Amino acid sequence: MKVFESSCVFEYPWANVSIANWRKYGAWNTQSTHVVAVDTLNRSVDPSTGILRTERLITCKQNAPRWLMKIVGGTEESYVREVSEVDPQQQTVTLRSMNLTGSNIISVQETVVYSPDPSSPETRTRFQQDAQITAYGAFSRICAAIEDWSVERFGQNARKGRVGFEAVLEMSSKAFRDMKDGGGRSEEISA
Amino acid sequence: ECSEKKERYDTCFIKWYSEKYLRGEGSTDECAELFKEYKSCLNAALKQKGIHNMIEEARKTSPNNNNVKGLK
Repeated sequence: MKVFESSCVFEYPWANVSIANWRKYGAWNTQSTHVVAVDTLNRSVDPSTGILRTERLITCKQNAPRWLMKIVGGTEESYVREVSEVDPQQQTVTLRSMNLTGSNIISVQETVVYSPDPSSPETRTRFQQDAQITAYGAFSRICAAIEDWSVERFGQNARKGRVGFEAVLEMSSKAFRDMKDGGGRSEEISA
Repeated sequence: ECSEKKERYDTCFIKWYSEKYLRGEGSTDECAELFKEYKSCLNAALKQKGIHNMIEEARKTSPNNNNVKGLK
């Protein structure tokens, strides 16, 4: 099992970041072209806590190396299931994702938390990400190779993810501002 | 396949989320109808693609469900 951790700060208030989170995978995010579709499977608000729980299915274009695809039996698309909770009282967004495709060979569990950054809670948001990557199987060398490759890839994607999300944050904050000022102008979401 | 219904629902959701929910007024689900339409289309597509079972399995076994706290 390999663990990957990363954190960073976005110069936007938590509310903006939590909205941008729903827009993350769209045409404005040029770094996320590997994400083919994001579908909402379920969504509900817990009446006692006010927590918004969402279950989503993320469809990705498979871009693993060929040797891994052969082992996993990969096809064109792979699927990830994400369960998230927005707690507006605590001001946290927690996302937990796990791969559905190939989960009997390799398991990647990622947890992301967005919360106001303690250094400047009104204007900054902290992003914390950690992932557990476990490869199953009888051959320890293959397992280790898969895990190493996965962790490295995860790091690369984390960097790309930051860049892409910044673009989303900018667009989203602008729309949020326009909406607050215009008070009723409907916003364009082009995909 | 369900892009149009999804767009309609997603737009409704973002509006509700940013205007109502974040301000503490999110008690009624204004997008319920749109979600129903989108969801039935989506479920049909998922079943057709054979992904539905994968999701059901994950729902039962996944550690993702630890934060459910009594919600289904």
